[in-house]
Order: sequence, then C-alpha cells, then structure tokens
Amino acid sequence: MRLGLVIDLDTCVGCNACAVACKQWNASGTSGPLSDYAPFGHDPSGVWFNRIRNYEIGDYPSSKTVHFPMSCMHCEDAYCVDVCPTGASYKRPEDGIVLVDPEKCMGCNYCAWACPYGARELDREEGVMKKCTLCIDRIYDTALPKEERQPACVLTCPTHARMFGDLDDPDSEVSQTVAARGGRALMPELGYRPVNQYLPPREARAVPAYDKGASLVDRVKHWVNESIAR
Amino acid sequence: MTSSALPDFEDHATQEVKYTTCYMCACRCGIKVTLEGGKIRFIQGNPRHPVNRGVLCAKGNAGIMKQTSRAKLRKPLMRKPGSERGDGEFVEISWDEALDMLTERLANIRKTDPKRLAYFTGRDQMQALTGLWAQQFGTLNWAAHGGFCSVNVAAAGLYSIGHSFWEFGDPDWDRTRYFLLWGVAEDHASNPIKLGIDKLKRHGGKFVAINPVRTGYQAVADEWVPIRPGTDALLALSMVHVLLARKLFDGEYLIRYTNATHLVVDTPGASGDGLLLRNIKGHPLVWDVERKDFADGTLPEVRPALFGEYSAPDGRPTKTVMTVLAERYLHEEYAPERAERICGIPAATIERLALEMAHVAFEEPIEIECAWTDWAGRSHDRFLGRPVSMHAMRGVSAHSNGFQTTRAIHLLQVLLGTIDVPGGHRAKPPFPRHIPPPVKPAKDVVPGEPLKAPPLGFPTAPEDLVIDDQGRPLRIDKAYSWEAPLAAHGMMHMVITNAVKGDPYSIDTLLIFMANMAWNSSMNTAKVRDLLKQKDESGEYKLPFLVVVDAFHSEMVGFADLVLPDTTYLERHDCISLLDRPISEPDAICDSIRSPVLEPDRDVRPWQEVMIELAARLGFPAFVNEDGSAKYEGYRDFIVRFQKAPGIGFLAGWRGEDGKAHLRGDPNPNQWERYVENQCFYEYRLPEHMRFYRFANRDYLDFAQDAGFNASADPIVMELYSEYLQRFRLAGQGLYDGPQPEDPAEKQRLATYFDPLPFYYKPLEMQQINEQVYDFHAITQRPPFMYHSWDSQNVWLRQIVAQNFLYMNRKRAQQMGLADDDWVWVESRNGKVRVQLKLMEGVEEHTVWTWNAIGRQPGASALEPDANEATEGFILNHIISELLPTDDEHEFSNSDPVTGQAAWYDLKVRIRKARPREKGSWPKFSVMKPLPGQEAAAKVLRYHTHAPVKLIRSLKDIFTRN
Amino acid sequence: MHPALSIVFFTVTAGAGYGLVVVTALVSAGIGGAQLQNGDILLSAAAGLVAVTLGLCASSLHLANPKNAWRAFSRFRTSWLSREAVLAVAFYPIALVWFVSVWLDWGAGVVAVFAFLTMILALATVFSTAMIYACLRTIPQWHTSLTPANYILLSLMIGFLGFSSVLAFGDGASGALLWSTLLSVAVAFIGKLIYYLKFSAPSGPSIATATGFKHATVRLLDVGHSAGTFLTDEFGFTVFRGALMILRILTLILAFVVPAVAVWLVIDGSGLAIVFPIALVAAYVGLLMERWLFFAEARHVVNLYHGTQRV
Repeated sequence: MRLGLVIDLDTCVGCNACAVACKQWNASGTSGPLSDYAPFGHDPSGVWFNRIRNYEIGDYPSSKTVHFPMSCMHCEDAYCVDVCPTGASYKRPEDGIVLVDPEKCMGCNYCAWACPYGARELDREEGVMKKCTLCIDRIYDTALPKEERQPACVLTCPTHARMFGDLDDPDSEVSQTVAARGGRALMPELGYRPVNQYLPPREARAVPAYDKGASLVDRVKHWVNESIAR
Repeated sequence: MTSSALPDFEDHATQEVKYTTCYMCACRCGIKVTLEGGKIRFIQGNPRHPVNRGVLCAKGNAGIMKQTSRAKLRKPLMRKPGSERGDGEFVEISWDEALDMLTERLANIRKTDPKRLAYFTGRDQMQALTGLWAQQFGTLNWAAHGGFCSVNVAAAGLYSIGHSFWEFGDPDWDRTRYFLLWGVAEDHASNPIKLGIDKLKRHGGKFVAINPVRTGYQAVADEWVPIRPGTDALLALSMVHVLLARKLFDGEYLIRYTNATHLVVDTPGASGDGLLLRNIKGHPLVWDVERKDFADGTLPEVRPALFGEYSAPDGRPTKTVMTVLAERYLHEEYAPERAERICGIPAATIERLALEMAHVAFEEPIEIECAWTDWAGRSHDRFLGRPVSMHAMRGVSAHSNGFQTTRAIHLLQVLLGTIDVPGGHRAKPPFPRHIPPPVKPAKDVVPGEPLKAPPLGFPTAPEDLVIDDQGRPLRIDKAYSWEAPLAAHGMMHMVITNAVKGDPYSIDTLLIFMANMAWNSSMNTAKVRDLLKQKDESGEYKLPFLVVVDAFHSEMVGFADLVLPDTTYLERHDCISLLDRPISEPDAICDSIRSPVLEPDRDVRPWQEVMIELAARLGFPAFVNEDGSAKYEGYRDFIVRFQKAPGIGFLAGWRGEDGKAHLRGDPNPNQWERYVENQCFYEYRLPEHMRFYRFANRDYLDFAQDAGFNASADPIVMELYSEYLQRFRLAGQGLYDGPQPEDPAEKQRLATYFDPLPFYYKPLEMQQINEQVYDFHAITQRPPFMYHSWDSQNVWLRQIVAQNFLYMNRKRAQQMGLADDDWVWVESRNGKVRVQLKLMEGVEEHTVWTWNAIGRQPGASALEPDANEATEGFILNHIISELLPTDDEHEFSNSDPVTGQAAWYDLKVRIRKARPREKGSWPKFSVMKPLPGQEAAAKVLRYHTHAPVKLIRSLKDIFTRN
Repeated sequence: MHPALSIVFFTVTAGAGYGLVVVTALVSAGIGGAQLQNGDILLSAAAGLVAVTLGLCASSLHLANPKNAWRAFSRFRTSWLSREAVLAVAFYPIALVWFVSVWLDWGAGVVAVFAFLTMILALATVFSTAMIYACLRTIPQWHTSLTPANYILLSLMIGFLGFSSVLAFGDGASGALLWSTLLSVAVAFIGKLIYYLKFSAPSGPSIATATGFKHATVRLLDVGHSAGTFLTDEFGFTVFRGALMILRILTLILAFVVPAVAVWLVIDGSGLAIVFPIALVAAYVGLLMERWLFFAEARHVVNLYHGTQRV
C-alpha cells in the first residue's frame, strides 16, 4: 500500500479549510498538542502540518493565480528517514506513512534540512519534530463511520480538491484520477519520489461563439413579431 | 483498511457527538461536534446537511478557538460612573440591574415617543424575531445590516425576477454549463459555491469570473475578466447589445414569463408617461398579433407582440417594453467599443463572452422529461433549460450604481431564458415571490402601540414612502425617504451620524446588536467615533444612551454605556427560519436550529431569551397574555408556539400536534426535540414537477400559497421594465399624480436614477471628484478564512493573516517607483491612511485592494496592544466618507440613490510613497483598556482535550530496518 | 539558512582538533622524518583532543530535546549524523591508546599502528561531519564532493598551523613542516576559491520545478502566514548581498592569506615564532567566518516555496 493525497490545483480556492481542519484534529491527535506562540500578541505563529501558499503564474492580464496546499509528501525514498540519527523518523512498511516517534526525537532538525517540501516543524515547547501523519489516528479507526476514515483535510475540503487513497492500487480513485488528469510530483529531480500528487489546472473547455448567420439588425423597427401564446 | 498494533487513539466511550449549526459566518452550515471532558474535540461538517453536505471551511474548523477566545464577554457591564464614553472603563453589574435599567428606560421611550429607540442589528440571523420585537415596541427605527451589506443585490432581484442571489437562489450547479461570477470574493454563499464550482468543473462547464482581482474563486476560473470597479452594468448591457444585435434572445420565454410585451406609454412631459397601458381592471395591455388588437396581458392564449409601436385606444403612442429596451441597448452608448473604454475589457472579449453564452443557451439546451402544469392549466411534458447561470454579490452591490447594475445582470439572464430553468439560476423557497413581495414599511408611530406593519418593506409608489407631509424622513436612517426610496434593508450606516447631528431628529437610545459600528462597519470611522462622544451645550451626550449586545469584545463595546453579553453559537438555541433568512436549496425547503453543545461558563444570556423577557416586561401584545403575564416561557417556547399566521410558525418541520404536518400546521410541543433528533435541520424535498419554472408552475404556486410563502397563487411576471421605478421618476419630474419631492436635488436624483430599465452610470462620488488626482479604485475583499472583524481574536485564523497589505498591479507600481513592502499614503478626499504595499499581477491596473477588517484598534478583541492588527494592519473605512460631496446644505449619504446601499467600493484614492521614517499603520488609536476580570494573555497556547496517544517505534525496528 | 552558532563552533573547533591530531599522529608515526620530543607530540595531541572534546560538547547545544541525544548512535546504517556520532565516540579509545603509547613509549611499531588508526578515525569523523551536509540534495550548494574535500583540507590546514605553533615555541618547526604547512594553506585556499566560484550563482531547482509550472514566470503571491514559521526561522536567513562579498573576502584573508604570509615569513627567516599563534588565531577566526558563511549562504530548496526564484 502506498497511501497518499492527491491535491487538485484546478479547484483549490485557497480557503485554508484543510489547514485549519488539520490543526484542529491534530491538536488532540497523536501528535498533539500543537503549540501556538504569541497567540494574542505580535507575530503570532504556531506549529502547522498543512500550509497554503499562493502563487501567480504569468503576467497581467493573462496571469493565473494558483493556491497551493502543502503537507508531507510521504516520499517513497524519504530522505528525512535516512538522515535521522535516532530512528525517530521512519516510514511504515505496510502503508508508506512517514512518521516521527516523539519519544525518540532529539530535536536536531536534520530531517527538516533533508525535506525539500517544508513538511516538518519543530514544536519548541516539546523539542520534537512534528508533521502530517496522514491522520493515522483516523484512517484505521473502525469506530468511525467508513466515509469518515479519511484525513481531516480531505473530509473538510469544500471544493473536494483533496483525495486520499492507495496509489499502489491502479483501480483506486486516486490512481485513476492521477492517470486521467496527469497528476505530478513536486521537485521530482531531487529523486525522493513524493507519493502525494498534484493535479494541474484543467484546460478550459473551448466554448464556441454563436455564429449561426444571425443578421446584424440595428433598427428595431424592422423586427418582425412571431406568434407565440403566453 | 486495517493495521495491526495501532493503539486506540481516541477514547470514543468518553466522547459525545452533538449536532448544531455553525455561526462563524452567515452560511449556516450544519456541523457535527465531538466533545470530550466538557471541551470540544473536533468540529466537522455534517454529511447529511443540505447546505454543506459534510464540508466545512476554515472558519468553521476554527470554532474551538472562537469558543475559547479571550475576547468573550463575561458579565453585563455598565460604563463606570464619572468616566467618559469611549474610555472603556466599566463596572460589572448583575443581569437584574442591567435589565431593570434597560426596561425602565425603554418603557419610558415607548410610552412617549417610540421612535427615540433605534434598534439596529448587525450580522445577526434573527431578523424575524428582532424585527417583530421592534414592530411590537412601536419604533420605525429598526433594520439589520443589509443597508451596508448587499441590499442592492437583494432588492434588484426582488423588483425584477422574484428572487435574487444567495439565500434567494442558486445556480443549478449540477447542470449548468456556463457560469459567470460577478464581483464575488469569499462571499455568500461560502461552502455551497465551493461545492458548486467543483461540480461545474467536473462536468466540463466553463467558469468566467468578472472581478478586478484574481484570487480565490477567480483563481480557479477558466477565464478572468479584470473589470474596473463600478462598471459591471456597462459590461452586462454591452453583452445585451451584442445579443440584441444578432437577435439572440429567447423570444418565447420573454413573451410567456416577463413583461417584455407590455405596452409603455410614450408621452414625454405628460403625466402618465412611461407607465404601462392598462385596461379598466388595471391589467396591463398587450398587442395581440393574431387578432391585431389590444388584449389583456394577463390572459393565457393571448399572442402578444414582442416588438412594435401601437397607438392606444385613447390615442396615446405606446411601445412594447421590448422595443424600448432594444432601442436603448442597441444604441452605441452600449456598444462593446464604449464598454472597452470604460470597463477596461477588450470589445472582442465582450462580444465573444456574449456569443459563448448564446451558444450554450441556444445550441446546448438541456431537457428534463417531466410532466408539469403551467399557471393557465396547460400541460407540458418537459422542462427546457438553457444552462447559463450567474452569481453576483458585494463587488456589484457595494456601489452607488449597484441596484441598476444587478438589474442589468438579471436582464442578461432573462434574455437568455435562464431564470429558474434547468442549468440556469434557480430560486430557493420561499422564493420566487411576487414582484415585489407585498409588504409595505410601517409609517405611523403610536406611543405604547405596536406598528401596524413591519418596519421594513417594499415600496411600489411614492405613497409608500416613510415620510411626513412635508416630505421629511420619518426614520432616523432616512430609509424610504426621497433620498433612498427603495431602502428595503434600511440604512444602518447612517444611524449614528444622523442621530448625533439631530438630522432628521435626535433619539434617546441606540441599541446595537452584533455590529462593530465603531470600527469596520462604519464609513468614516474616526469621525463616527468622535460623533459617539459628542456632547451638547449642557454637557450631555448627543446620543444619550448606547447599549451594545455582543458575545465578544470589540471596538464598539468600548463605547457602550451598557453592555449585555451574549452566548457563543455553541452555547445557544437559535433558529434559521423560513420567515427570516432561510437555508433552502432549489429542490428543497429547509430550515434549521442551533442547539447548545456546551453550557456557558460565565454570566451571559442568549440575546433572544433576553429579548423575549424584555418583551414581556414591556407588555408587548404578542408576548403577553391578557392579564399581562408572560405568554412564553422563553425562546424555545416562543419559537414552537408563536404563529405569524394560522399554522405558520418560525419552524416548518414536524408541525401539527402529532408532528406529522409539513410547513403548515398547529404548534407541536415536541417540535424542538424533533429537530434535535434530526441533527438540527429539516428538509422537505419538492417533487420534481415543482422544481422549475416556478413563477409559472401552477402546482408550485398553489403549494407556495398554502405554505404561506405567497399571498396569492397568481403567476409571477418578471419585470424587465419596472413601472414602480417609473412612478418615482415621474415624481422627480413633477409629473406624478401623488406625493412629489420639493428639493431640486432630490428631484434630480429621482429623475435620473429611477430609470425603469437598467442603465449604466458612473458611481455618484466619482462624478463629483477629480479622478485625475484620485486615480485608483480602492476596494476590499473578504478573506475566505475570516469573517469581518470576528476572527482576529481567533488564535488559529489570525496566524494566517494578522497584517493586511494593500495590493497593487506590479507594472503600475513599478511605473510609480513603488516596490514590495513600501509604506505608502493612501489618500481620498476624506482623509488618509498609511499602509504597507504588496505588488501582484492579478489585479486590474487602476485598482488597489486589501483584505477586509483585518486592521484593529490596539487592545480590541482582547488582543495585546502590539498585535500586528494594531501596529501594521489597517482599514480603509477612515477615508470613506458617509456623505457625498455637496455644494449646498443638503447632504446625501454616500449610497445608492435607489436603495440607500452604502457605496463602500466607490472609493477613489491616490497613492504616494511615505518618507523613510514613516512606518507602521496610521492613524493610531488609543489602547483599549482590558475589561474587568480580564486575565493576562498566555504567551504559548497548547489546546488539547486529551493527552496524545503516541505511536512508538520499537528499538528493534530502529536497529534492523533501513 | 540560520547559522547555529553552536554548530559553527563545533565543526570548526572539533575539526581543528581532528586536524591537529592527524598531523600529530602522522609525525608521531615517523612521517616527515622529524625526530621530535615526546613532549611536543603529547602537547599537540592533548590540545587536539581538548579541542575535539570542546567542540563535541558544543554540538549538543543545538538540540531541542537533548535527553534523547544518546539515541543518536542508532542509525549509523543510513544517517551521516549517526555515523559521525559513532565515529566520534570510537575515536576516543583509539586516540587515548595512541596517546598512551607515545607517552609510555611502547615502541615505534605500536605507536605507528595506533597513530594510523587514530588518523583514520579522525579523518573519517571529519568526513562524516561534512557528509551530513553534503549528502543533502535540498541544499544544492552543499551537494558536491567539494564539501567534504574542503572540510578535510581546512581541518588539515589548521592542524598544520596548530602543530607548527606548538613546535615554534619548542624545538622549532623544520623546513619540511613549514613547507607542508604552507602547502596545506595553499591547497585549502584553492579548494575554497573553486567552491566560491562554482557554487555562488543559484543553479539548483527553481520555483518552476518546485511548483510544477514551467512555462511562465512563477511569483509568490502570499506565503500563507503573517509571521514567521519554523521554516522561515530555520531556512529563511540570508546575508545582504553587499555584506556577502565583504565577508567572503575577509574570510579568505584571515583564513588563508594571513597564515600564508606568516608561514612564508618564517620560511623566509624574517618571522619570529610569535607569528604562528597570530596565524593560528587568524586562521581560526577565518574558519569560524567560513563556516558561518557556509551555513548563512546556504539556500534550502524550501525557500522556493517562500518565493525565491532559484537556489
């Protein structure tokens, strides 16, 4: 199993629902609590696993705005796992989820240096690294209704721009969507093989302009009435 | 999926799940709340709820931080005796003291001059109750916030097509193939639009976004049309020009369902000019092309002429509405070439968009096979749909030309035959309603008595205005006066200015519920704050008593004389009613409640309960028995037992003694419990044959009458040409047979702007300032993750944005020598503010914008004085004047002349770089003092409801596996 | 990225110590043909061991959760940081044995064996330290064989300078030693110069490959948070372009030019012994600056997501 997320850049409107859902779930989840610093003061910041960055492609007036959620890619060759000296950072063989064992982490930040995607953040209060767990504390919870055994970010996305599933299974919805839409990984040249895939914006359907030889009449006086009952 | 050896992360046995309705904004999504140890573990969307279907936005997901906010009010407060208003010095008092004080004051006002109570409510959703309360009190001076929100959009729809955007109607997301979004950032509806955009894209529809800025919804649009603010009417009407020029309109639809065939009397300069030709019964006449004679335009089987000029029996020349319309829009004034110059959009694009819509409408119609009967009893076997839809909101509404602009958009929709059809824009029950809804605003005030009509309504003639015999406004906000005749939602943004200036008169008490009028909800904020503190010669405040009701601290709270603390949305009972601002879907009639998931942990009371108690204390007839005792035990009892008309109550579900009646029925004492059992909402799905063409659908019209939505089952005829507007125009021209204004400026406004057909005009303020000097449009957008000034107090949400920037087009900025992060002065004719600049591509060259309501007064919402919102954040409100420039003494409000809608986005500014040492936002305001009992702010927050159940990796795994 | 001062101090000081130990061990094994007093060797070795120890102690200061530091030995199979920890620890017993073998005069053969083992472990540790950074593809400027090469060359350079300093106040440094020292400075200088020339301009991933949008300009609109985050704190630090050139030039002068001139003066005969400590201090300060710049100039690819066009 190669569990991961598929994020649709064609429908992400940058609303941050997924970022806050993640923050909310994980506050009391297996990695919680997630510290917030200067919560009511100057320069408030905190530990988040999912952040939405926003880019513009091209120049005005043809520019396109792209809203870009990013969280751990659960890479196949996760270098953050290789570099960890204590073994706190690891990838599960059964489903590929990359995790941090908070009882082993010594807070050296090396894994964050190894991660191209900024997936890991240090929780200064605990001194350990934290990151997306693919909601491992939701997806296997049989006490939840089946449809809710998904990451919080996927469940909440109002434009359904996030999907979750097994990218090793060619028949899964995620695999089929990636194939159909040309999903791609970020910074593939680094070779870490991120599992999360991003769907590029769709090509707009070209709508033809109405061209049925309609006469260009500009004198209303010439217009003829049809006989139509109310 | 299974995985061995995972611990039990959640102790479900100790958790409790409750359902209620979110209130982080006005979308009213259904939420499922998991509680643990008396705290909130998780909030998620309710999968079964008709509004959001399981999804939830960032605000909804941040409910925990709202519930645990440091800004929560804890106890009733009174301004400390001897302190000045606005100093923010309070003493805590008991509820008994507070209510006794208020009751005494209100009772006195009620028995002498009820108008001296002005009760205005902000983003509340309880207007049916607050409006009823005001009506029972007997004051005209009530409205909610629509006057500064989106009354232009609402009124335009209700005076044109019988429904409108947002709560009143929706695009047919499942079937629409071409969607135009006009002037919408994160605006209502929030989650439904997001769900809809996804559906639209999945089935290959094209999405065009018309907006000066490209973020959010615009980001995912297939085509972005960067329009200059305030010019949307010209864009819409030039598309009408293109369609008319090629005869691309749905003639059948126009003939059957609109007043396009009615005959307009064409006698300029004479009374009656521009009104419709009517028979003795008052029915509009049409020209029957078969019989070649005039006929009653309300009869079926008449075959009316769409075009032509006909001499009336009495000799007066007439033209069909369609002829008048076509003549106007085919004129070069509405040609795409002119629109290009003014809107900033290439003529070729305008033409192409119009023709693309025409292609989808006429070459790709859809049909739903379904037998239905029309208003005349004729059977049809299918619903024909032209799958082009639109949505418009604040970007169109918040201009002084927003009413006519929205009417222009509706015209475009109607010409294409897309109203309430499959794939088009569909009404949501209780809409469509007759045009306009048959409610007239109250005029007469009798001390000690309720008003005979609701405070708000829909005028159809000058006789309906709320003015005295001399034509002076009777309402404190001057709504329904010659200044703003169709002010259907009131004009809350003028109350403080008018009350303090004593124009039209002074009042005694201003009661503000949930509105931050001392900050982001006022124009000219710095001045309004001063007005609140103004005293007369005897040293008394010109606004004698200010009561503020809210759940949270805000700038407004700092100015109160009396503060009544409300509960949060998770702590209260509430109802989202069909009588109010409903949550229906096009296919289903829906309403909902809020049911508390938590008990308040402080001395607060839900405002609804307090209102009902005050109503009883003050002896409102609807709230007391004959012996004067309270009729209702509290809010829930009121909601369940109150009937507006026989069988019609606040909640439509599970009515009747046995709870089996739908929509209409006797009160069910267990109704509230039934809602709670059903996850706090009620959904009544319309049968398929009643889902489309409802303005002409007999079964639906009968049903709507039975359910109490409409007073009659008559078909609803869409008005391309509004005779109601023409009546006001005639009054302005001195040709009306009834009340007319005296003041030349008022006459000119009516004569110009009450055009019975939509038209484009430059926004009022822009007509009077030097646009060479003030060369930028300055607008705001609501961020998707915050709602007005409600969320800077939210620890999670404010991390996303704690400082707002002013965004400018990069090329334009570079030409001006400006760079990212420069501090600049933004100056209007009313004042200046200092802000920090950011450059971007996706903004039209003549526009600058910022996120709404991020800047705050230091200490507001219990933020620390050095919070970025106070030191670097800003609001534009200080430089927006609430009054238009004037040469004489008559000051008109900076609003739409038809509806009085606050014209926020008419603002024009100039931008200059600040000097090197000029950094930080300006103007600066004093630091708000903490309220009594306020604890010090934590430096670190670590919210959780249970200790984390950690996942441990074995040492063996560490040593053996790579 | 944000240079952690404890790490700068650690790598330079420990590196200096390892370098000194390597040079000392070489000489103690008879290489270079000098016949030196045990006293000089032992003093030099002790200084090296002290420097190594000081450095290693400093290294734990950058840990946010030091109570788990002992676990750092667990993952030597994949992690260069773990390997460094293991080697650093393994170094001590071997180095101590070598130290004792010299002190107690266990014979040239034994000394040579443990000297070589000590050398190998010292070099391997420096190499591991460098590989911690060089193995990261996320910082393209580090991801080159020049990184470990430079770490070792710098380490040896300061080792030679240190050893020469010790001898300057004792028996005096031999001609061979002085020339070797000068050579080590020159080679290290060239190594660093090539590095500065080759890896200054951004040539790694771009914002285009980071976001997947390759056919038009990509610009950051908004980073998604008003204040900083762990990522911006850790990786967002940059040096002002104006200051950068000055700092680099200053580094090259202090680390290489001053020591080279000093050694040359001694070779030339016109320099007093005192120039060595000056050269040593200049080199040490220069290396602290070099190491600080190594971190400060590093451009992590995550900055692409914060708006940098190329790293």
